[in-house]
Amino acid sequence: MKTFLFASIALALSFGAANPLLAVPEIGQPAPDFSVIDTKGQTHSLSDFAGQLVILEWTNHDCPFVVKHYSAGNMQDQQRLARDEHNAIWLTVISSRAGEQGHVTPEQADELTASRDAFPTAVLLDESGDMGRAYDARVTPHMYIIDGDGILSYMGGIDSNPSRHSEDIPDATQYVVKALDDLAAGREVAHAVTRPYGCTIKY
Amino acid sequence: MLLRLRTYFILKLVTVLFFALTAGAGIARQSPETGAVQRPHIEVELVSETLSIQSGEPFRVGLRMLPEQGWHTYWINPGDSGLPIVMDWTLEAGTEVSQVDWPYPQRLPIGHLVNYGYEGEHLLPVTITPPAGLSSGEDFTIDLYADWLVCKVECIPGDAHLRLTLPVRDQVPPINPRTKSLFEWADRRLPEAAAWDSFFSTDGGQLSIQVEIDRDLPSQGWLFFPAEENIIDHAESSFITFDGGLIQISTPLSTYFTGAPDELPFVLVHPDTGTAFSLKASADSLISDLSISSAESSNPHLALLLLMALIGGVLLNLMPCVFPVLSIKALTLANHSDRNHRAHGLAYTAGVVLSFVILASILLALRAGGQALGWGFQLQSPWLVGALVYLFFIMGLGLSGLYTFGAQLMGVGERWSGQEGLKGSFFTGVLACIVASPCTAPFMGTALGIAVLLAWPVALLIFATLGLGLALPLLMISYWPAFSKRLPRPGPWMETFRQAMAFPLYLAAVWLLWVFARQTDANGVALLLCGLVALGFAIWVGRLKDRGQILSTMRHVSVALCLLFAFAALASAARLQPNAAEPASEWWEPWSVERLEQLNNDPEQAVLVNMTADWCVTCLVNERVALNTDAVRTALLEHDVVYLKGDWTRRDPAITQYLAEFRRNGVPLYVVYPRSGGPPQVLPQVLTPAIVVGALESL
Repeated sequence: MKTFLFASIALALSFGAANPLLAVPEIGQPAPDFSVIDTKGQTHSLSDFAGQLVILEWTNHDCPFVVKHYSAGNMQDQQRLARDEHNAIWLTVISSRAGEQGHVTPEQADELTASRDAFPTAVLLDESGDMGRAYDARVTPHMYIIDGDGILSYMGGIDSNPSRHSEDIPDATQYVVKALDDLAAGREVAHAVTRPYGCTIKY
Repeated sequence: MLLRLRTYFILKLVTVLFFALTAGAGIARQSPETGAVQRPHIEVELVSETLSIQSGEPFRVGLRMLPEQGWHTYWINPGDSGLPIVMDWTLEAGTEVSQVDWPYPQRLPIGHLVNYGYEGEHLLPVTITPPAGLSSGEDFTIDLYADWLVCKVECIPGDAHLRLTLPVRDQVPPINPRTKSLFEWADRRLPEAAAWDSFFSTDGGQLSIQVEIDRDLPSQGWLFFPAEENIIDHAESSFITFDGGLIQISTPLSTYFTGAPDELPFVLVHPDTGTAFSLKASADSLISDLSISSAESSNPHLALLLLMALIGGVLLNLMPCVFPVLSIKALTLANHSDRNHRAHGLAYTAGVVLSFVILASILLALRAGGQALGWGFQLQSPWLVGALVYLFFIMGLGLSGLYTFGAQLMGVGERWSGQEGLKGSFFTGVLACIVASPCTAPFMGTALGIAVLLAWPVALLIFATLGLGLALPLLMISYWPAFSKRLPRPGPWMETFRQAMAFPLYLAAVWLLWVFARQTDANGVALLLCGLVALGFAIWVGRLKDRGQILSTMRHVSVALCLLFAFAALASAARLQPNAAEPASEWWEPWSVERLEQLNNDPEQAVLVNMTADWCVTCLVNERVALNTDAVRTALLEHDVVYLKGDWTRRDPAITQYLAEFRRNGVPLYVVYPRSGGPPQVLPQVLTPAIVVGALESL
């Protein structure tokens, strides 16, 4: 086989070892499971929602990018759309460490939900950051969609314009909404991975 | 529900309205402020380099930013989070303003992410060219709306409408002593635009960049800043090596990488010397060490490449794996009494050229599909190799005289076509091409390498020319009477010649048997040899004269059984796997989780891990041009580094797991573990001796 070795030298780079990056988590692969308590003290696991779409939204209410989408009602709209029209589970996750920006008590979290008229299924308090790290969640807002079979279908930003101005929302592509449409129509999610933009999660 | 929804919409309307008002206020902006302006955690100011300006003469202004201690703002690529500063100028008609001359940033680790930005007082300068026709004594007003994010761990957005008014004067403007040092700071940090050739590739989960430099630069201590967001994981450190005139940068792609741009602007910074270069890499294949040296004259002219391919093709006729076929063909031509040589020559040429083009097309298609296959891959199947052993052996037996072919030749081409004539010549050409391809590589490797790097039509043309070269001598013999007349007349010598020609065929069979042995094991070879004996027996029995019905039936049954046995032998031999990887040599050991752990627990031991596979072309090349060189062996000994090699030729869950730890799902993977037990470092996927030696020295 020496000959092939010679042969390979010249061809090496054109063939390369074109292997896609093994991301953790990865689109098309089972999403990491979690077990985190919500503001009511109830524990939620991914496996509890088998058969249902699950949307994860990482948040930090003081982050200007989160404020951008809540002040304009964009996040709440998407929560309602997902839950009412797609029968999805919407989990808002807070991974800020105690003492860091965005960290809230269960009462404060519920108060934020009420005052912002948010509509999540539950708000998960991931104080340890374990769930956030399992999903490699980096910023707020950082969005994930998991299909009824527990397969990760979307990960990335809330929309396509990484600005901090609410007036930019109407012109941006709302990736989560698009992905939900694609999933409902039985299509491939057109933009399954997008750039998450926002504030660093304060693990 | 309805009620709640309605409340929600009203609430939402209110928030939207409220927001529109505040945003509107933001856009309408507070009245412009002059001088230093205080905002939460930052002081901003629009400043100029000179105290006055001249009509029509470019001058510089800049946004001075002074974040509080511990706070920072962002570069054009903010890194894993954050936003670059947005600057919106309002200037008199006819005024031109340049892009920001971004000073190079610093790496700002925030938690597990890294941002690119600036701490402390900094300046973002632009050049403004005012219209000509301003008169002395006039005031020139510059308005800037700046919008930024200032962050520590948390981020505070801010904006300001800044104004600077400068007097227009006739004389050369005096330098503003207050801002002199700031502009000097920005100039020191302005990367030099370098015109070096630079290419990048995003294969294998890595961003790999090569830059061909033309001057001496320090070889250590460089930082890499891509100017595009969302390409790399900014928190991962980039691996940067200097090797002669080539800088290689290698760094893992971002999890959120979705596609490569056509051009990737980036900045290389050497903080110790304050040297910085801005470059633009274009998306292209990278070059290996070997092709650099062979393609030194940069892009060889196409005609030259074709000439090289043609000469290479002619030389192929001398290759041991082509010669037997060729000898058969020469014999055919010598055998032809008709004057149809030209047509035969053309048919042979067509067979060769077409086969080369088809094989090249398959190769190019596989390349497009990302398959790691090399030229000669058709011989990677033990099935085909075994069948060729049989074929060459039978042909050899025929030439030796165990059986006769009748009046004409026994070329395999004829066997395939089942007839003499032009078809036979065509298929002889096809056969010549198939057996020639493995021989092609050593002599034409470089040309082929360049060919497959080229656009596919050019590559196909080169392969076609290569085929033409291979066919050329026979074509000439057939075409030019002068040549054909020199061919000896048919006669009794042909019998001797034919018998002599059997020996190259036996040798070819031996070579193929050796290939087969590498692909299977000793048992496989033994089985195949038994198959050969059975074939020989079948031929011998088949030629026995019949003496009665029973004997005749037995003869036929024997032939059938022998053929069946030969087939079964090939089938079972082809399924055998080669013995365990070649035994470890003195200078490397087989990788195992336990061995690596044991070495890592030893503070005295540094380790080099090489994850490879026989079918991974890049792996083999890297071993040949880098890892197996004397320089690397010496460095391994000198620096006392243990070299562990893992073979992923067949799936191995332990290696798969190990690859996954480095977020890879394929080989090659090269990792070095420092003596001190520090974090492992991943080497680039394209190795040179200098990269490996450099990495070993750093342990």
